[in-house]
Amino acid sequence: MSLDYLNDAVARGDNEALIRYVRLHVGDGDDQQGRTEIDKAWVQALKVLLDVPPTDRQFIVDTLANKDQATLAHLFFSLHFHLVNASGEWIHDGRL
Amino acid sequence: MTAGSERRRQLRPGLWETVNERYPGAMISKTDTVPLARLDKPLADARLTFISSAGVQPKGTLPFDVVHPVGDYTFRRVPSDASPSDLEIHQLKYPTDGANRDLNVIFPIERLQALAADGLVGGLTSSFFSFIGYNMDVKRLEATLAEDIADAVVADHAEIALLAPA
Amino acid sequence: MQRAVEQRGIATVSISVARDVTEHCKPPRAVFVPFRMGHHFGVPFHAELQRRIIVEALGRIEEVEVSGDIYDLPITWAQARTEGRLIEQTMGLRPA
Repeated sequence: MSLDYLNDAVARGDNEALIRYVRLHVGDGDDQQGRTEIDKAWVQALKVLLDVPPTDRQFIVDTLANKDQATLAHLFFSLHFHLVNASGEWIHDGRL
Repeated sequence: MTAGSERRRQLRPGLWETVNERYPGAMISKTDTVPLARLDKPLADARLTFISSAGVQPKGTLPFDVVHPVGDYTFRRVPSDASPSDLEIHQLKYPTDGANRDLNVIFPIERLQALAADGLVGGLTSSFFSFIGYNMDVKRLEATLAEDIADAVVADHAEIALLAPA
Repeated sequence: MQRAVEQRGIATVSISVARDVTEHCKPPRAVFVPFRMGHHFGVPFHAELQRRIIVEALGRIEEVEVSGDIYDLPITWAQARTEGRLIEQTMGLRPA
């Protein structure tokens, strides 16, 4: 999607167009696959926390308090791909 | 079907339409052409550069940003005397299975080195140029990345350029 | 990209696996090969084919008279793959 198209979608409040774009991005051009990928990332994040392992909560608090929104949004996309990769079900294997 | 039309068939027909439906406006479409630059010497005397959108980069350099939803508008220099084992690919959006076995299928650095050694071209620029081809902001791509690479190619004294848009 | 370089006075040629995309972008000179995406120079370990594609492409710099030229390299993907398999068998990378 061109940036113009995405900006138009923001201007008219078309969240369907925006989420379709996110799904295409994380689903290697397949928006249905993208839904699965988003679920996969959340499931992986949940699994990792089920045993309540120690986490660096201070890092999280400081990061959310001190980093700009753009960096945090960029981190959010990075965490998605990181968690999907960690799940062992990595679709971005170069075969497309 | 004639052999000629068989040859002209691409493996994924209608790619421009498919991508443009999924990502409206992201595909470039020009109505004009640019004037040809003329090479005023034989190929065997001309310094060649190579420009690739395959996300190939020297190991240890900042990976291309494959997660950013709008793309990465930076480029990397790849030393033209590098070995494939010095390089790695950071890009998710095209099939890399062949390149992972032999980088030359998308970034033919060893073939280019051989052509220069054999004198078919007059030499190679000290660097080749690499970026990733997943960029939603076409205007930014054309206004910044394309111009930045073109400037860098001139600064490296290229006389001819081979491009592989992955 | 290619157009920006050509406009600096540097003669350019590109390799395309998507003829329709190239027709839209109208680069000054292109060579179309009917190969898979990500395999512009053919198949792994087929150095002769990889070299031939480059040599033919560079030859277009001396041949082409009109900007926007797309040359169809007379080869098929099936042919490239068959040759590649034989090369890998010879190299011992693939059982005969």
